[in-house]
Amino acid sequence: MNIIKLTILAVVAGMAFFVDLSPATSPIPMEVQFVSEAQAIFGVRRRAIRRGVVVGYAAAEGAEAGAVAQQQAVTAEQQATTAQQQSATTQQQAATAQHENAVVTKAAAGALALGTVVATLPGGCTQMSSGGIEYYHCGADYYRAVFQGNNLVYVTASP
Amino acid sequence: MVSAMTLLGITVSGSDLLAQQSEVDPAAVQAFQKMTEFVVNLEGFSVSTQVTLEELLDNGQRIDVDIYANVVIQRPNKLRAARLGDGVSQSFYYNGETLTLYDPVNKVYATEAAPKTIEGVLDYTRENLGLIIPVADLVYRNAFELLMQDVNFAAVVGDAIIGGVHCTHLAFGRPDVDFQVWVADGDVPYPCKYVVTDTSSPALMSTVTVMGDWVFDPETDAAVFYFVPPADAQAVSFLPYNSSSEN
Repeated sequence: MNIIKLTILAVVAGMAFFVDLSPATSPIPMEVQFVSEAQAIFGVRRRAIRRGVVVGYAAAEGAEAGAVAQQQAVTAEQQATTAQQQSATTQQQAATAQHENAVVTKAAAGALALGTVVATLPGGCTQMSSGGIEYYHCGADYYRAVFQGNNLVYVTASP
Repeated sequence: MVSAMTLLGITVSGSDLLAQQSEVDPAAVQAFQKMTEFVVNLEGFSVSTQVTLEELLDNGQRIDVDIYANVVIQRPNKLRAARLGDGVSQSFYYNGETLTLYDPVNKVYATEAAPKTIEGVLDYTRENLGLIIPVADLVYRNAFELLMQDVNFAAVVGDAIIGGVHCTHLAFGRPDVDFQVWVADGDVPYPCKYVVTDTSSPALMSTVTVMGDWVFDPETDAAVFYFVPPADAQAVSFLPYNSSSEN
């Protein structure tokens, strides 16, 4: 008898859990196809509104929502760039590796506005120093490392 | 889920608490006040914390991120914290004049002029830099007033053993946030565990902090609060928290 009760409880509790979660998750679009695992998880971290502290609770909400919107915009931009790179690569399959790099560089050129924040640097960057600040030259963009909260991120900059 | 249990007539230990929803048990408030007063009156302490941040992926998959941190505090104006875990390796230094965040893996650090007190630096890092310092809530001199603001539910849940220590489990609710504190029994009422839950969303995400290795008034060399950059470390800056959200 107890086992039956427990089974019913487990099923009902499971359903209740499912129902509880679905309104929270369904409006969030699945957008993981074009971003790497690390970027996808980073994006989700910024999106999930987490409150680890009680103090300053209400004040943090607006700022966090803004950061989420910003991160989503960056993710969309990254996806566009990646899609562009993929189609460019497909068209240039016969090209040499060097030529392919040139195509990718061209695709990324001007894609990111100054002040755009990315979680990880794109590939093929060279490091340079200017005015005591280290810059990463990736395609047509220059990035510098900054802390965004506890996260080390990269922001496009003009050396 | 709780309502499903109640419908089935199954008794859970929290059901009595549910019946008293929106009531404030003075015994819980008193026990909580005793803990906050104990922590506030410590001139210095060190504690290690195991923090679990609950996260939700786009597809609803639940992921927990674990971070271990060690915190050393000397009132009124010195704090050092080291965080290690899931992709995080950071040291935070504060000495009454400057604050520094150092990432020893990527060898980058950022230093800024800082407010003159621990309370000031906790406010500044949270609101201007978006930085989270472990157990910050419990460190404020006015922690009791700050945390009890708008509390509409308080209860003594019962006894628990956290990390081998007998503790009293307290639960509090205020609009959009629940928090639970476990306070060590006996003459030294330090916090054993602290859970904050976001009740504004049905996902009920929490941050869980288990505290251990408490040392009260430790002999701490003041040098540990001052960051000396290694020769190969790169100085970077903080992205202002408010302006970054406007981009």
